[in-house]
Amino acid sequence: MENVLNKEIKEIIDACPEVGRILDEYGIGCVPCSVGSCLLKDVVGIHNLDPEQEATLMYRIEKAIYPGRNVPKPVVDKTKKSAPKKISYSPPVKKLVEEHVLIKRLLALIPTIVEYIEGSIKVDKDLILKCVDFIRTYADKYHHMKEEDILFKYVDEKAEVIQVMYKDHDTGRAHIRQVVEGAEKGNKAQIKEHLFGYRDLLTQHIKKEDEILYPWIDRQLSTTQVGEIFRKCNEADASVGDELPRKYERFIVELEEKFLQEVAK
Amino acid sequence: MSGCPGSKTIDFSEKTNQEGSETGKRPSQLRQWPIQMHLVSPQAPYFQGKDVLLAADCSAFALGDFHKDYLKGKSIGIACPKLDSDQEVYIEKIKSLIDNAKINTLTVMIMQVPCCFGLAQIAKEGAEKASRKIPVKQVVVGLEGNILSEEWI
Ligand SMILES: [Fe+2]
Ligand SMILES: [Fe+2]
Repeated sequence: MENVLNKEIKEIIDACPEVGRILDEYGIGCVPCSVGSCLLKDVVGIHNLDPEQEATLMYRIEKAIYPGRNVPKPVVDKTKKSAPKKISYSPPVKKLVEEHVLIKRLLALIPTIVEYIEGSIKVDKDLILKCVDFIRTYADKYHHMKEEDILFKYVDEKAEVIQVMYKDHDTGRAHIRQVVEGAEKGNKAQIKEHLFGYRDLLTQHIKKEDEILYPWIDRQLSTTQVGEIFRKCNEADASVGDELPRKYERFIVELEEKFLQEVAK
Repeated sequence: MSGCPGSKTIDFSEKTNQEGSETGKRPSQLRQWPIQMHLVSPQAPYFQGKDVLLAADCSAFALGDFHKDYLKGKSIGIACPKLDSDQEVYIEKIKSLIDNAKINTLTVMIMQVPCCFGLAQIAKEGAEKASRKIPVKQVVVGLEGNILSEEWI
């Protein structure tokens, strides 16, 4: 089992898809992950299962990989998912979770926006560029930069989970470059492909952060570090001014009014 | 059973589940004097930029590892929300600790008895009155010295 623990999860699932199904039962969604380079031991460790659940999970994985092996069964079998625990975040992390909410409101509008773009004769470049501005300024500069420049610096940045987050941020930026190119050229298919690509990516990314990464980081932080991160994030926010988040919140409200009416028509 | 749970007589001298070690010397983690909330001054150098513990008087006696796990690395103020007078002063001092001493965090440690939650209330009011914002944590200690909860508020 030791050497399996140190293998990359994608490699394990490729060789034995049953492992992916077992992990999924425990709410550990490694199968759709784009990278899959986390080690099995980290994947299990990071989800903070209770010890019995973890023992059962490891037992089932070992059984799936080595069906012929005589693996001692753990005493308590808790195959079922436990009731979802309410996550309590430290104040600076809670603020980042709240910022995700505004980003998710834009993601929710993307299908309607794409439909509107497809249905109009000329591509509404102004609208696309405004959405791009929200993504680049609010989601990326205002939000992702606090993650990259402050929060992630407090944990082992070389950890696979953090690397996956960096990669997601970069992939998101690449999608947005493509959206801009599509808007410049009036290429509806390109806009559609990459807005949807961004939406799928960020939906998963935010879920991973809210449910896995942030609680994992919070568990490692000392009280002093929480205070420091809180102060640094406040300073970062102050450097862009109070008006910036308000402006983008107004933008989302207007967008919702426009497109929810569009849907109602 | 009736009466105030804060002063109800309970005897747990028969407690047997005693884990832990009695060997070795544990040094005090206290780095300041005074400590009582009426006596401390927010201008004291030991508060500037620090993580501060606002502890209910009883908590340090209940908690076996108080020094090692909670006092270490922090400055402290102690108070009793049930018996102390002039508690508005406490609110003002907490406000001043946050705004003037620019403390990094505030941890309020209380006992599980209902009257002790008054101290958490004082901490919250002081923090709300302050113009600077800092993370505030609440730790609730059981009568037998166990940690019942520890959360950011
Ligand atoms: Fe992120
Ligand atoms: Fe995020």
